[in-house]
Amino acid sequence: MAKMTVITERCKGCGLCTAACPKKIVALQKEKRNKKGYFYAECTDQSACIGCAMCAMMCPDCAITVEK
Amino acid sequence: MERNLMKGNEALAEAAIRAGCKCFFGYPITPQTELAAYMAKRMNKSGGVFLQAESEIAAINMVLGAASTGVRAMTSSSSPGISLKSEGVSYIAGSDLPAVIINVERGGPGLGGIQPSQADYWQATKALGHGDFQLLVYAPASVQEMVDYVVKAFDRADKYRMPAMILADGLLGQMMEPVTFPEINPDAYDKSGWAANGHKMQREHHIINSLYLKPDELENSIVERYKKYDIIKETETEAELYLTEDCDVLVCAFGATARVVKSAVNDARAQGIKAGLFRPKTLWPFPVKEINEAAKNAKALLSVEMSMGQMVDDIKLAINCSKPVHFFGRTGGVIPTPAEVLDEIKKIGGNL
Repeated sequence: MAKMTVITERCKGCGLCTAACPKKIVALQKEKRNKKGYFYAECTDQSACIGCAMCAMMCPDCAITVEK
Repeated sequence: MERNLMKGNEALAEAAIRAGCKCFFGYPITPQTELAAYMAKRMNKSGGVFLQAESEIAAINMVLGAASTGVRAMTSSSSPGISLKSEGVSYIAGSDLPAVIINVERGGPGLGGIQPSQADYWQATKALGHGDFQLLVYAPASVQEMVDYVVKAFDRADKYRMPAMILADGLLGQMMEPVTFPEINPDAYDKSGWAANGHKMQREHHIINSLYLKPDELENSIVERYKKYDIIKETETEAELYLTEDCDVLVCAFGATARVVKSAVNDARAQGIKAGLFRPKTLWPFPVKEINEAAKNAKALLSVEMSMGQMVDDIKLAINCSKPVHFFGRTGGVIPTPAEVLDEIKKIGGNL
């Protein structure tokens, strides 16, 4: 099973990963922020992740890791 | 030349260090913090001083002190922090000292937001502090330009003995792009005539001061400074003109917004609307000659900004209101999309 993790402190909430995900399971946080004040990205449904790593490839800050 | 992939804020810091910046004083604020963090890591190793001050006001006055001794000094902040620094900036200008101030803009007023904005245009070009003075204001639109303009800002600040500002925004600060660093000569200007760096009983005292109690003396000092500004207005303006030769609609934008506008201009051209882009790289002095050149065949102008409309005033002044000037902007941290700008261009293009 694939697992997607975000280094939240490196995320600036640009949302590119949310657009890149073919399963539409990456979303920006609506309540929690990182230390810089940005709403960070997270996986809303790990079980649906297919491990394609499109989100990681798209991330301009290398904040996403995908493990298979 | 070596190419590096760097975040905008880090590129600003690295460029400053390579430009011979020996003193950095700052206070963290999103979206500018990476700049100070990078300085904290690198400055000590490159033989300079990094100091996180207790406040923005302390930081800018430390810059004033360091600049008085003739070393290259800078500070950086984002919009609310720059407001705090404005008193010190006025003192630096009043004392004729070179310094570089970086503003990675975010939404305002007040604490505003932390997403990119361009609503500090008026502050930077018209009123960053009290009194009769100006700053050199550079508006880069890419990470490479941020590097180039930091180098230039240090150079011109030394040349004219005045503060220079890099007016970036959160979008540029947080963006990663490849950059190359130019060769730099930090000692191009002789400061021995005024720097207060110890006379060792071998020369006259150098006094750095902005207080003139006799009105005619103060007037003279300001008139002298404005003669310098006249030279700068003649020689230091820079702008990018893109497809302006035959354009009907001239779209004006600076900084990150200009990149959005460029896409919209290309889309408009593909749909048969003759659009062009005018991008001032120096906001003060405003490129008056260049905009008149760009607008010579245009029927209407459109200013696109991440604010409620600030540069649009300078555009009207620059072309003497000889043509209609429209405005489109998003503010509060919202970035306009190429599609929105294209719709605006179509609206204006359709009514010609």
